[in-house]
Amino acid sequence: MKSLSLGSRVHLLIGLCLTLLLLAGWAASGSRPLPTLAWSLGGACVLLLGLALYTAHRILTALDRLTGHLKAAAAGNLESRITGIKAGAATGELAWAINDLLDQQEAYFREVYSAFEHATRGQTFRLAMDQGLHGAFKEAMVRVNISVESLGQVQMMALKEKLISRLTDLNSGNLLINLKSIQEYLMNMTQEMSIVGQLSKETAQDAEASRATIEVLVVDLNRVAEMAVASDTQVRLLHEKSDEIHQIVQVITEVADRTNLLALNAAIEAAHAGDAGKGFAVVAEEVRTLSENTKDAAASIAKTLQTFGQATTQMISDSEQVKALAEGSRSAVAEFRTRVLKFSGSATTSFTQMSRAQDLSFATLVKVDHFLYKQNGYRVIHQGTTSPEARAVQADHRSCRLGTWYYEGQGAELFSHVPSYVRLEAPHADVHRNIHEAVAQLSGAWERNPATQSLIYAHFEAAERASETVMTTIDRMVEERHRQG
Amino acid sequence: MLKRPLPTQQERVLGEDDFIVSKTDLKGIITYGNRHFIQMSGYSERELLGTPHSILRHPDMPRVVFRLLWDTIQAKREICAYVKNLAKDGSFYWVFANITPSFDRAGDLIGYYSVRRKPRAEAVASIAQIYQALLAEERKAGDGQEGMKASLALLNQTLERKGISYEEFVFGL
Repeated sequence: MKSLSLGSRVHLLIGLCLTLLLLAGWAASGSRPLPTLAWSLGGACVLLLGLALYTAHRILTALDRLTGHLKAAAAGNLESRITGIKAGAATGELAWAINDLLDQQEAYFREVYSAFEHATRGQTFRLAMDQGLHGAFKEAMVRVNISVESLGQVQMMALKEKLISRLTDLNSGNLLINLKSIQEYLMNMTQEMSIVGQLSKETAQDAEASRATIEVLVVDLNRVAEMAVASDTQVRLLHEKSDEIHQIVQVITEVADRTNLLALNAAIEAAHAGDAGKGFAVVAEEVRTLSENTKDAAASIAKTLQTFGQATTQMISDSEQVKALAEGSRSAVAEFRTRVLKFSGSATTSFTQMSRAQDLSFATLVKVDHFLYKQNGYRVIHQGTTSPEARAVQADHRSCRLGTWYYEGQGAELFSHVPSYVRLEAPHADVHRNIHEAVAQLSGAWERNPATQSLIYAHFEAAERASETVMTTIDRMVEERHRQG
Repeated sequence: MLKRPLPTQQERVLGEDDFIVSKTDLKGIITYGNRHFIQMSGYSERELLGTPHSILRHPDMPRVVFRLLWDTIQAKREICAYVKNLAKDGSFYWVFANITPSFDRAGDLIGYYSVRRKPRAEAVASIAQIYQALLAEERKAGDGQEGMKASLALLNQTLERKGISYEEFVFGL
């Protein structure tokens, strides 16, 4: 009976019973010699019926147990298994079949769980194993593994995106800090250059003034030298004249000496004449006194002339020194003049260069301001519309730093006359307009809407293009201003 | 109590499309085994139920593998391992074992569920070499705690040199 199925065994038992019952009935109703047979057949029938009922009961109990396991499995509890299965039991095969089904199901679910659980942690090497699974379970595993692999890829992409986005965020954050420090540096530099520029302008002016002063000095010195030469001539003339006077004084002294001798002789002659000569003796005495006086006066003149001569000799030597000094000063001043001229030239050149450098640094500063504005635009995407960056980008092309510089500040003052000045306005306004429009898109559900995202991207792209024009126009403005001089 | 048989060089091979399924309680006592388990192990269901799973341990297996296995499943994590098992008649069979913890509805650990599949011959060849080295390390240190420590160190060193985790290594074989 081992090879027979559960149903066949019951059927066979019931069939046997019915056959025996029919035989018993036939024996009872038939010829007399058969009542014992009828009884034994009837007894056997009752026995068999009992056996059939017992078998049916056992089968039903076993089926109840199996039904319990199946119900638990249907309720999602794959844990329980049928154990202690008797090798020859009628329901043994059924029990093992149920266990196999539960094993297939449990193995399937655990594999799927493990594979997905690993995949969500990025461990895509742990694929679901289909070995030992059968039919639909095995086939489903192939699809599960496709999902696991794509989940792994998505996971990887998402992580990559996250990293890139974090890096971009980090970069732009640092970029802003860097730009701000450059801005600060440029502002200081510009300020210092404007002081240096002012100084160099003053130096150039001073050099020019010095040059004029030197010219006057040169003329004056020339005149002094000329006058020194003239006065030397006069002094030499004077010296010659004093010699002549000296000779005259000598002649006078000789005349006085002779007159004195003559008067002495006359007095002697008068004494010889006696009384007649008395009057003459008086005259002779008077003449002698006169000659003495003349001699005294001449001596006094000679003495004075001697002092005078000494003075004129001194004057000649002095005036020669003045002449030499004046000559020396003249060459020193000429050299000085050359130097001042050169200095005045280089001061002017350095002033021009300084002013160009100042303009370049100004231009760079407004460029940095413009970069900062753009960077803040990008930051709004990450930081949201309520961030400080969002407030910063609200500025329009007139109120931003570049705008203030352009319309009211140094930009207007220094550059409004160059041709490129007017060309800056349109692209600059474009940058602001595009960033404003990009930021305006952020109020809706842009994160889930690819169309809005493309629109945002397009606006940023347009802003970048316009910004490039802004940069080149600023460069051209500086160039034009300095080409014109 | 069943006695562990003496090992022979006879090999049994698990069918390509079959798997052995068994369940144990928290102590490793077998509570269920499928027909492939009964057939491969050589024990009857009656003999297996209530017996520690370690009855199947082959002396060629380094102890560190079971240490790793228990540490992992007790931490409620899945483990996969190549295992050489010992059948009742002393023959052996290689399996790629996957053991996962089982929980009740309240989420409490109630036992372990193991599925064992036929491993690839190449994987068995390379893991057997590693197991041999680990086993030698354990024996050298006298099979005690020291042996386990030394063999664990060697295993970690091997993985470190490859620069991968145990899991990634096992699945890559």
